[in-house]
Amino acid sequence: MVDALSFSSEVSNLMYASHGDPITNCLQCGTCSGTCPAVEFMDHTPRQIIGMIRADLKEEVLASNTYWTCASCYNCTVRCPAEIDIADMMYALKRYSMWKGTFQEGLIGPAFSEAFVKMIVNSGRSFEPLLAATYLPRFNASDIIQEGLMATGLVLSGKMPLLPKRIKGLKKFQQMVRRIIPIGEPS
Amino acid sequence: MNAQKKLIIIDDDPNYVDGIKSVLETANYSVDVAYNPKDGFKALQTKRYDLLLLDIMMGRGAEGVALARKIRKDPLLRELPVLIITGIREQIAFLFPGQPVHPHFVELDELLEKPVEPKLLLEKVSSLLKMAEEKKS
Amino acid sequence: MKQYAYYPGCSLESLGKSYHVSALEVARTLGVELMEIEDWNCCGATAYFPVDELLAYTLTARNLAKAEKTGLDFVAPCSACYKNAYFTNSYLQKDADLAEHINYALEADNLHVSGTSRVRHLIEVFINDVGLEEIKNKVMNPLKNLRVAPYYGCQILRPRKDHEDVENPQYFEGLLSTIGADPVDYASKTRCCGGSLIITNRKAALDMVQILLQNAVAQKADVIATTCPMCNVNLEVYQNQVNREFGTQYSIPVMYFTQLMGLAFGVVPGHLGIGKEQVSGASLLAFAQNTKQEKNL
Repeated sequence: MVDALSFSSEVSNLMYASHGDPITNCLQCGTCSGTCPAVEFMDHTPRQIIGMIRADLKEEVLASNTYWTCASCYNCTVRCPAEIDIADMMYALKRYSMWKGTFQEGLIGPAFSEAFVKMIVNSGRSFEPLLAATYLPRFNASDIIQEGLMATGLVLSGKMPLLPKRIKGLKKFQQMVRRIIPIGEPS
Repeated sequence: MNAQKKLIIIDDDPNYVDGIKSVLETANYSVDVAYNPKDGFKALQTKRYDLLLLDIMMGRGAEGVALARKIRKDPLLRELPVLIITGIREQIAFLFPGQPVHPHFVELDELLEKPVEPKLLLEKVSSLLKMAEEKKS
Repeated sequence: MKQYAYYPGCSLESLGKSYHVSALEVARTLGVELMEIEDWNCCGATAYFPVDELLAYTLTARNLAKAEKTGLDFVAPCSACYKNAYFTNSYLQKDADLAEHINYALEADNLHVSGTSRVRHLIEVFINDVGLEEIKNKVMNPLKNLRVAPYYGCQILRPRKDHEDVENPQYFEGLLSTIGADPVDYASKTRCCGGSLIITNRKAALDMVQILLQNAVAQKADVIATTCPMCNVNLEVYQNQVNREFGTQYSIPVMYFTQLMGLAFGVVPGHLGIGKEQVSGASLLAFAQNTKQEKNL
């Protein structure tokens, strides 16, 4: 049992099937950063984030937009010579930040995940127009108009539903959800 | 002579663990810690404990539920008293707003929601230990 | 008749409708029966992993369990659904504890998953199960001189599933050649389109899309072929926005591989969802002219 738990251990604990602490295997070679298609929009590169995690810079890591800018393309994961599942690590950081409610201000990612997750629990299916509520508030007036025009075009060509769908076995589906997340009335 | 009771905490939040660990140790319990469900289950199999304090949201998600069920299925661990201490409602507050945590999703456990007052914590621990003793005799 | 448990996924009923109709047309032509899974639910895409992965697996497991009941392979046309299903299935097979817990949840819906289903992507079902020979036999209208950029995207390839080459796969090119088209050398064929970043970080996604469009244009592609509705939407529906953001003037059609296959089989373009795009696919119809004329003779 460790007395003082390092932040890298905390993060590793959140990753699927991690044995020990894979993040400490990082060579800081930079392959992940070099292969990341979204890196230019991250305030720290994936390599830097791993370095920061190992330096126990918990607050700085959580405050960065890096892990919320990850597109889950898995380039880093398949190319990392130390075989760290970096994309999975980004999901672990997302989970950490959502459960603690700490993340950079102005990010749409957390609100998007929330809306999406809730939507499926409530109906079993996704419904695009609902998701628009997560990002429209950040747009300026002219962007909102453009978005509206685009959406209209989609509606007219029959590609945007106007009514949400629902699965038939919704009740049992929700009982299934409650067996995983024990909140609400038991089945 | 009352032998010192051995407790184990399985919770991924080191700050929270530090807090309740010192409360329990001050009350003369021996306290071990595991920060993830895998290490936790291993510890349960290698050492005999008198009570488990278990978190729910860890690792991939609500792992505490899976671990609690696994313990109940294990013939050697089945009788272990489990005190669940969870912050689940705050952690995924948006998902089921206003709904209570289901307290008895496994038999014979108690559930408290974080934050827990030290006095209440010690009361629950002591009463669960007592119940387990009475069951044995 | 080859039968499969077909999992369309949410996009195919809305934004990716052309994919759905063209997939069914192509399947019909090839003697493949795509039997839609009864009362399927959303797979959760990437949104559940930041909240609870166990719940993410459960959502997909419900669909896998339903497919298992039919005894048929689970087939997904969407790369994100495919990736989720593939790995959920794989984890359930390898981790008995996980399987036990997920099944405990599924029990509430009278379902059980054993991990016995095979999870497939639609494109490889056509290539591997039907075979290029048979596909060639059905080509009435080879798409001669149609230069196609074969856009694989990312989640169909990564993380590694089994044996395929994740760096430089060639199977999409093989399929396109079989239907008579000219696959171009498309260096960014496995580069991410941004996926859900189109919503959560619009600027980043538009940048990623621009690179894909630019590469296709540089290779003088007439069309970009896709294997995933998210990729298709990002490349096509948002092409206007890319132009506004970067001052470019892209106007390159983006089609699902099933739409191109359908054209090659001589299916009427309207039945393949062609004509409903934001970036017009009209230029491609010139390659379908031969069929129409021959039919009128």
